[in-house]
Amino acid sequence: MLKISKEILACWIVFLLSFTISAIASDESAVIKDYRERVAKYVDLHKKVKNAVDPVEESASAAVLTKQKQQFVKMLQQERQGAAQGNIFTPGVRPIFVRIIKQHLTHPNGKKARSLILGEGNPGNKPKDGLVLKVNSPYPTTAPNSTVPPSLLLVLPQLPEELEYRFVGRHLILRDREADLIVDFIRNAVP
Amino acid sequence: MFRFAVLVVLCVSVIALAAPQNSPNSSSFRFMVLGDTGTGGSAQYAVARMIESNWRRTPFPICIMVGDNVYGSEAPKDFVAKFERPYQALINGGVKFYAALGNHDDAALQKGYKPFNMAGERYYSFRPAKGVRFFALDSNYMDKQQRDWLVKQLAESGSDWKILFFHHPIYSSGEKHGSNVELRSVLEPLIVKYGVDVVFTGHEHFYERLKPQKGVQYFIVGSSAKLRQGNIGKTELTAKGFDQDNVFLVAEIVGDEMRFQTITRKGQVVDSGSFRRAEKTRSTSR
Repeated sequence: MLKISKEILACWIVFLLSFTISAIASDESAVIKDYRERVAKYVDLHKKVKNAVDPVEESASAAVLTKQKQQFVKMLQQERQGAAQGNIFTPGVRPIFVRIIKQHLTHPNGKKARSLILGEGNPGNKPKDGLVLKVNSPYPTTAPNSTVPPSLLLVLPQLPEELEYRFVGRHLILRDREADLIVDFIRNAVP
Repeated sequence: MFRFAVLVVLCVSVIALAAPQNSPNSSSFRFMVLGDTGTGGSAQYAVARMIESNWRRTPFPICIMVGDNVYGSEAPKDFVAKFERPYQALINGGVKFYAALGNHDDAALQKGYKPFNMAGERYYSFRPAKGVRFFALDSNYMDKQQRDWLVKQLAESGSDWKILFFHHPIYSSGEKHGSNVELRSVLEPLIVKYGVDVVFTGHEHFYERLKPQKGVQYFIVGSSAKLRQGNIGKTELTAKGFDQDNVFLVAEIVGDEMRFQTITRKGQVVDSGSFRRAEKTRSTSR
């Protein structure tokens, strides 16, 4: 009788565990889905503003391109005046990113990735480049681009062409590639 | 009349003697490689002058730039001082520049800057001559989309020469940066699988020709304006290294052979040689 009870208890524990795991996974995929939707919404805005700016795809004049970029940046900033940290990297999705990054960098093969992120090209190493970690503020073009390890890019949720992940110090930022604007960020994403 | 004839013969002889002594093979394709150029400083201009004199003797139709094309400020005047002015003679002479993005480059501006011929993309490929294909990559951000694009492009490139250029070297003896092993883990399997013949990179501010790695030729040309003297460490990777002056590289493809010369701003040839792509054996000198 006791033996049967033990077996039933074990089955019950396994059932509970698998239920909990699948519930967490389902929660997580819902959070990631929400993140993707927020990203898509941002990209829609990006495209809308881009279409409203004088369409110059290519020019022999850097002055023309600069003027167009400035116009684009200004309009995008205006459209996102009320944007704040967490609009895209919501409190729900942040721990998922932190966990993915931590798992990746603490893996035995993650040492190189870690040194790439925190290495010479990281603009957080040179505060004089004037980078202010604030949503809707510019990522200075005079600051170098930190290298984002390709292996990490393969495990983070993919982004459309308009956006990219970058690191400033230990913070992960979501950057608008064409406007050079900080769209959102996660503080201390690198453990 | 006789005097006139003698004068004509004399003039023709002088012109013939003054003609380029090293004219390129008519069935060949020549190109130039520059890296880490955009300082606007005296070294960049000195290299540019030497390039111009080389180009006047043996013209080349294209020049590839392996990144850090405009350092620091990227205001319109910087594009003039750090690119248009130093290479003005070449630009006016019809040489087409093709840029890859470095970690100091503003992708948003540069990919649309027509003289860089990036076609509005941060990575792209082009075929400037029959049988020769170049692939410019954005090694700052090697995401899945770019990797997938490269796979497709390489797969479709058939029997062309396959020449990759991007900023961060996946093999390097540099003491400052060294090999980008992370990038290598993603790119090298494709380079080997699809038979890339040669890879040009920069980032390290010196010149290094690596010993062929898995049958592929690698060059670092990152001192066409900046220079990090004495930065080449002792490694098993180096076939030839030079970190004492600024350089550029001129290459010529003749059939299955690529010849190259690496020249300093003072005109000194510091490396030269050739390799064949079929069997990937090399015969280098100096």
